[in-house]
Formats: sequence, structure tokens, C-alpha cells
Amino acid sequence: MSLKRFSVFLLVMALMFGVLAVSAQDVSGELSILGFNGTTGDEIATVRVDAVRAAYPDLTLNFTEGGLDEQQFLTAVAGGDPPDLVYMGRDVLSTYAVRGALMPLTECIANMDIDMSQYYDAAVAQVTVNGVVYGIPEFYNSIMMFINNEALADAGLTPADVNTSDWESISALNDALTRVDDTGAVTRIGFDPKLPEFLPLWAMANGASLLSEDGRTAQLNDPAVVEALEFAAGLHAAAGGRQAFMAFRDTWDFFGAENQMVADQLGAFPMEQWYMNVLAGGSPDVDITFAPFTDRQGNPISYVTGSTWAIPTGAANPEAACAFMKTITAPETWIAAATTRAEMRVADGAINTGVYTANRIADETIFSEVVAPIEIEAFANGVDTILSVQEDAFAIPANPAGSEFRQAWMDAVNRVLNGEQSAQEALDQAQMEAQAALDEAWAASE
Amino acid sequence: MATKSLVTRPSVRQGRVTPQQRELFAGLAFISPWIIGFLIFTAGPMVISLGLSLTDYDVLNPPEFVGFENYQRLFTDPRLGLSLANSFIYALLHVPSVIIVALGLALLLNRVGRAAGFFRTIFYLPSVTPAVAVATLWLWILNPRIGLVNQGLALLGMQGPGWTTDPVWIKPGIALMSLWAVGSTVILYLAALKNVPNELYEAARIDGANSWQQLLRITIPLISPTIFFTLIVNTIGALQIFTEVYTMFFGNMSSGAASSAGLFYNIYLFRQAFEFLRMGYASAMAWLLFFIILILTFIQLRVSKRWVYYEGS
Amino acid sequence: MINTGNDSVLQAQLREPAPRQPIRVRGTLIKAVFLFLLVLCTILFLAPFIWLVSASLKTRAEVFNNELLPNPVAWQNYIYVWQAAPMLTWLRNSLVVGVLASAAVTVSCSLIAFGFSYFRFRGRDTLFGLVLATMMLPGVVTMIPVFLVWRSLGQINTLTPLWASNLFGSAFYIFMIRQFYLGLPRELFEAARVDGASYFDLWRVIALPLTRTALIVVFIFEFKASWTDLVKPLIYLQNTNLFTLPLGLKSILDQFGQGGEMQWEVVLAASVIVTVPMIIIFFIGQRYFMDGIATTGIKG
Repeated sequence: MSLKRFSVFLLVMALMFGVLAVSAQDVSGELSILGFNGTTGDEIATVRVDAVRAAYPDLTLNFTEGGLDEQQFLTAVAGGDPPDLVYMGRDVLSTYAVRGALMPLTECIANMDIDMSQYYDAAVAQVTVNGVVYGIPEFYNSIMMFINNEALADAGLTPADVNTSDWESISALNDALTRVDDTGAVTRIGFDPKLPEFLPLWAMANGASLLSEDGRTAQLNDPAVVEALEFAAGLHAAAGGRQAFMAFRDTWDFFGAENQMVADQLGAFPMEQWYMNVLAGGSPDVDITFAPFTDRQGNPISYVTGSTWAIPTGAANPEAACAFMKTITAPETWIAAATTRAEMRVADGAINTGVYTANRIADETIFSEVVAPIEIEAFANGVDTILSVQEDAFAIPANPAGSEFRQAWMDAVNRVLNGEQSAQEALDQAQMEAQAALDEAWAASE
Repeated sequence: MATKSLVTRPSVRQGRVTPQQRELFAGLAFISPWIIGFLIFTAGPMVISLGLSLTDYDVLNPPEFVGFENYQRLFTDPRLGLSLANSFIYALLHVPSVIIVALGLALLLNRVGRAAGFFRTIFYLPSVTPAVAVATLWLWILNPRIGLVNQGLALLGMQGPGWTTDPVWIKPGIALMSLWAVGSTVILYLAALKNVPNELYEAARIDGANSWQQLLRITIPLISPTIFFTLIVNTIGALQIFTEVYTMFFGNMSSGAASSAGLFYNIYLFRQAFEFLRMGYASAMAWLLFFIILILTFIQLRVSKRWVYYEGS
Repeated sequence: MINTGNDSVLQAQLREPAPRQPIRVRGTLIKAVFLFLLVLCTILFLAPFIWLVSASLKTRAEVFNNELLPNPVAWQNYIYVWQAAPMLTWLRNSLVVGVLASAAVTVSCSLIAFGFSYFRFRGRDTLFGLVLATMMLPGVVTMIPVFLVWRSLGQINTLTPLWASNLFGSAFYIFMIRQFYLGLPRELFEAARVDGASYFDLWRVIALPLTRTALIVVFIFEFKASWTDLVKPLIYLQNTNLFTLPLGLKSILDQFGQGGEMQWEVVLAASVIVTVPMIIIFFIGQRYFMDGIATTGIKG
């Protein structure tokens, strides 16, 4: 163990004892947790759960694992048998918060002395509804460009030729990199716009937000959004349209060693940073370049998503839930988990691209002290890229129609991709649906 | 058992109870489980559902009376029209193809003697496969690029469509999948075919009728009650398709092309209720479906008088 | 009502038109063509199963190569899915729910049907009409209120809502068993009455044993329905350890399939595990499945 690593270890231990000291409050009994893989998850999950167990030995943790099913959560709350703690996407939190399904955390934050300023502002904004905090943010997913060098070289280009601020050049790049075989089947997609899920990113690149800051007014048929969708959806044409595109994309070994970057099936795409970890783990030798995604003025932008912890109304053990949330998202806990990951990667001889938390303080230590300098330049750049775009990130403002709002624009994009409607028609319809849902949800919440 | 004491009690006071009353009490005692169940799980819920359909209810807060707003919304919601159209198109694809394929297979089976038992078993196998597993499997059988269906079509020199990705082909794809579970209808038809008296065919042969004429003039009229039965049952079933489509395209799955072309009525209803928390609107949707099924069945019953042949009528 | 041994009648029919040689040759030829067509259909019906089993035994890289035989054979998929998900618990839940649901519906429907057939009282046929009418009611009409009923009984996130309503009978099975009772001669019961049997005895000692076949049919069809149901588990179960196999498979599909980790070979292995028990039961109770559909039109 290097001296530096040892000092981190000491720091972690010291902080852990600090946590133990705080836990003087009575935190015991059972804590049921829905939607988090606390025992079958990766080391980032299990190490942190162990930290909670160490801090509160009298607390019994019961996990219902697998991703949160919204319908499942709702029926649990409606059924009068809610879990004590729930782990959900930040984009749907407000839906439940305004309907009274989640507890305001005002008291919890005050009693347990949780420092909200340690979390990224964009993340806190997502869990704040009408000025009240309802969740403690967990991860912080940012977006950057993943560029396949091999495909570029094949077309006589270099990664520097990928310029996401110039949309004409994206089109040209897409045409240059797309490959179709003799039978007309696509064998490489040039540029995947990641639709429908990244519409907010394309809209922001064009200077538009899908929703007003206060979360009340949908702006889905704003001309800038329409233009962004027209452009991004148009990128599917080079591969022979949406059908060919999807059928091909389904066959990729997305999480495996023979993924689409290694197999040269994709030229470039914007993607969330966790996928860098996948590549680093499964195919560290991939010939890849990471770069910020930029708006049309050339400024790096990123669209933030991530998860959050929240306490359902009627939870049997809210004190323990609060203590759990504080501990599992505390800098020292994150650092302990990141340290374990670093050690595991060293043992495996693999690259460690770190872990991207919603906790700014944790991130600072993780990336300055825990994550060893990466020898492979591409991945080292990837880490730097992510860190550089984190503060420029935007999120869809909190709104009580969360899932319905998302459904409206996602469906609109799908209709355009399927050729059922033009971008204008689709977004006009989505605007109507989304605004109706927003009005109704806000009315219900007041 | 409680039933026993209930049933025997009247006989103790024989003098007062007439035999008719005794039969009444005993009969009611036997059917009492159904009466209780009907009140708790059918009649009561129907009343509640009707009441909920007049409210705004998100399960988390008390219902709020809104009059006929939910019903008005039925007529202005573009997605409701879409989901209804999807379900009808699916029913129009599914019902006739099931009847024709099942009849064809049953006719074949009816002519091969003992071997029929073996084939019948094979044809029925998919019907005992859980729908979730069927849908998971067919997601790949129907995959436009590598699925068995399109690979098979390619062998015949045809380029198969995007069964799971092209909005136009999603419903035909699901109908094709549903044909895999045609087995029970085949068995039903086969049983009906065996009840057609052989003398009728002999008489027809003597009159010089060929196989085709025999099929149209004897076989189909004689098994028409069974065909009619499957027509009604399959129509009602098709309009309520849920599990297969939900498994293939909804839940956590990125729905893609299916978000509009695969939005069937019951899927939309389920999402309104349990994802968007609109229990009131979902209840109104349920009543609309009930109404539609009633009307359809009524029409089918009326029309059936012209083509369904009942013995002795 | 239940016809077994119809095949021999069929045989006789087939043998009948054979007085003249040419027709016989032609008949054999036609039969051969039919057999060929049936074999072709059999291949079509079996192909998805074969693909499923084969793909479930392939490695991630080869899962979609459409080769008939997996090479190498990846048995580890099955070990993996067994470890990654509580398959055994789900299997047990499915069995418990299936047996309870089937037993409950068989006994209750038999009782109720007896009430609707043996006894003659005013309003009986109206009530029976009501039983039949409930079959028309789409499940979604009562879905939300029934959920509220179970909630008020504190039974959300338990297995109870998956089977307990079967204690109160089910319209189609009542109809079906009643048909069987109507086929029994009334004298049988009257004789027992004269001997002093109670009504309950009539049902237990006479009606029940005589309709054994029908009850087995009801039992296995309800078992199948329960085994394959997704909707009720989807609404009532939140705890992973309470899942039945179909809901478990859907959660595996969400976790390992599209939008998840794309480990399709694991999903396919789980699909096989979910399917196999029902196929075994089908082969054991095959006769009842066939008779059940043929005589009642159960939508199997």
C-alpha cells in the first residue's frame, strides 16, 4: 500500500469513527428499503451498506432488490404498507412528493444535521419541490461524447473532426461513418443521437429547455425544440431509418467485451458516464476518445440524471431511514466504497474510472486521492471530461407530472422516428398532453 | 363443516318448514359462497368502480367528486382513441386468423386417425407456456434481423418486416405470436368435427359433392355453434390483451415503436391507474370497455342467427 | 359427456370407405399428404421451443447465432440465474398459490354448482343467469375496487389476494360442473334421501365422486391459469421474496434484458425454468387437458 493510499485509509477510518460518534441517537429496529440492490449490487453498493451496518449495529436492513417499479411503489404506499426508505429516479420524485406520498425531509435534515450544500446544486434542485427537500441525491450521471477512433480512421478522419457544436458537421460525420453492406443491412451506425431519451440534451444544445424553471409551463413545441428534434431524428436516415437502426442496435453486446465500440458497430454517440466504467471494465483496450458534448455555441453541456433516497409517508422507522440516507451518501462512505473499487481494480489489473456521486465533497477526494492516475490516456481524458462538465449540467426542473411529462415527449420522439408525424405535429401534441398533465398535477398539489 | 349444520337445521323443525322452503334454504346454503363472493368481488366493486369513475382519485388522497369529467375526457383523449383502435385492429387480425388456422389444423387432424393424438399434444404445448415466457421468447423469434420468422422468410427469398420495431407491423407480429397458442381452439374444433355424423358425408358423396362442397355445406354449418363460441370468446379476449404486450414492450423496457402502435386498451388503462395515478379515469375507461364488449356481443348474437346452425331449430 | 376413445370410432370411419381399391389408394395418398402437412406444422410449433432451449445454453457471444446446437454448452447460465434470482422461492410461491387457488375453486364450485342443479327453488335460474352474466364483465372493471377491498383487509403484499377469492367460486367452472350434475339421474339422489342422507351427504357421497373427472379438469385448468398469471402478482406483490414465477421472469427480463444488462442468455434460461414445470404437469394430466377443452371450450 502506497503512502498516499495509506493516508486515505487513515482518513476514511477517522471519518468512519466520526460517523459512529454521531450515531448516539437511537437508531435501531428494522428498516425496509425498496428498489436498491443492497446485497446483490456491486462493491459501491455493498461497501456503503456495510458502512451503515457498522455505524448502526442495532439496525436490521431488509432490501427489496431490483430497480424501482413505479407501479409497485405506488401500490405499496396505497396498500398502507410502505417501505421505510425508497430509492428512485430523481425525475419522478416530485410526482410522489406533491401527492403526499413522500415525507418532507426538513425535520430529518435539521435533526441529523445533513449538509445539503455538499450535494451538487442541479441534483438538489431535482429533489426540491415548492422549496421543500424530499430526497437525498445519490449518483450524478453526466453525459459526454464517446468516439470510436477506428471508425474515424476508416473514413480518414481524426477525433478532432468531431465537432458537436456544428450540426452540419455532425450530419457529414454521420454519413461518412455509416456503413451498409451489399444486402442493404447496416453494419455500422455513424452517429447515434440516443433518441428518444436524450431529447432534452439536443434541445438544450439548441438553447431550449423542455420545461420552464418553475416546472409549470411545458415548452415542448418551442421552435428550438422542434428544430433540435428534426435534426437529431434525421440522423437515423443514414442507417436506413429507425427500423434498421433499432434492429441492429438490439444485437449489440452492449455490456460485454464485444461491445459496439470494440466491434466497430458505432462511430460516435453521446452517453452517460457510467458507460465509461463499463468499457473500462470489459474492454480496456478499446480505441476510443472522450469529449464534452457541446451546445451550438461550443459550450460544454450535460444533462443530469440520477437517483435519490426518499422516505415514504407512513414509514414505520423514519429516524433510521434518515440516518441511513445521511450515512450512505456521506463523503467518508463514498470514499470508502471508491477505495474498495480502486483496490479491486488494481487486483484485477483493470482501469479504475472512479465513481460519480452527487456529493461534491466526496467527488473531490475520490478524484484527487482515491482514483490513481490512469495510464491509458483515453480513459484519463474521459475522467477529466466528466469532471469538467459536471458543473455545467442541467436537469429537467422538478414537476409533479414527472412520469407523464416524460411520457409525453418520449412518445412524441418515437412518433417522429417511426415516421408517423412530423416533429412539429408530434411536439404540438406532446405539448398539449404535457401541459394538461402539469396543470392537473399542480392543481391537485395545491 | 358449517354448510352441513346450515343444511340440516330446517329438518329439525320439520313441522313449520314446507319442502319448498327446505329446498330453498338448502339451495341458498349451497350457493352462499357464490353470493358472498359476488357481493364482495363483483357487485360491490362494480358500484365502487362506478362511483370512482365520477371522481379524481390518486389512491394516496381521498377521492374528489368531479361529475362526468372523466367520461368527457374519454372523448377528447387522443390516446384513448389510439389505444381503442389498436385493440380493435388486433382483434380483427387475431380472431379470423385463429379461427381459420385452427379449423385448418383440426380438419387435417380429423383425417389422420390415431396419429392425431400426438399432433394435438404438440399443438397444445404453447398454450401451457406462461404468457410472460411466450412474450420473452417471441421478442426474439420476431426480431427483424436475427429472428426465426424473418430468417425463415429469407430462406424463401422474402425480406421480413420489422415485427418489433415497425409500428405498422407490431400488431401483425403479436397476432402471429398469438397463433402459436391456437392449440385449444384446434382441440375444440376437432371435438366438434368428430360429432358430425358420417352418414351426411356419405349422402353428399352419393350426390356427387366434392370435398370443398362438403366442407362448406356440411362441416362448417354443423360445427357453426362451436365456431360462434370461439368467435365470441376470442373477440372478448383479444380486446383485453395485456400480459404479452406488457411483457414485450412495457414495464422497465424502453418502449420505442410500441409506445403508440403497441398501446393497447388495457395497457393504457393499467398505466393510467398505476403509473399516472388516475384511478377515476381508469375506472371510466373500464366501463367504456364493458359497454363496448356488451354491444359487440349483442351484435354477434343477432348476426349469428343468420349463420349459426342449431340442431332441431 | 367426456369422450375418450373417440379415436377408435374415427379409425372405423376411416376404414369404412374402402370397398374399391382405387379409392383406398387415393385415400392413403391423401392421408400421407395430410400427415406431411401436419409434420410441417409440428416443426413450426416446436421451433420456438427448440430455439429457446438451445439459446438458453449458449454463451453471451453466441446466444443469437441461431445454430441448432449450442457450442460450447453454457450450463453456467442456469447456475447463474439460480444464484442471481430467488428462483426456488418463486417456484415455491407459484406452487403454493397454484395449489390453494385450484383446491379452493374446485371445492367451492362443486358445492355451488350442486346448489344450482339439484335444488329447485324460485329465483334459481335468475341467479344462475347472473352467474353466467358475470363472465361478460371485463376484469378491469373490478380491478381497482378489488384492490381496495384487499387493502382494507390488510392483504396487500401477501399471497392471499392471488387465491382467496377462489373460495367463492368462479362462474365458468360453476357452469361447467353444473352441466355434469345435470347429466346425473335424479333417482340416485332421491334414493339416498329416502335412506335419510342429508343434502350435504348427497353432495359429498354421491355427486362428488361421480364428477371426479370434471373436478380434476377444473383443478388443472385453474392451476394452469394461476401458474401463468401476471396481472394479479403485478398488482399485489412488491416484495421480491413473494413473487411468483411469471412476475419473477418479468423482473429478470427488466433487470437482465432490454434496458438492463442485456444478458439475454440469462433471461432465456429463466424462461425455460418457468416453462418446464407446467409442461411436465401437462404431460402427466394430458388426458384431462384435452377432455376439458373438448367438452367445455375452456380457453386454455
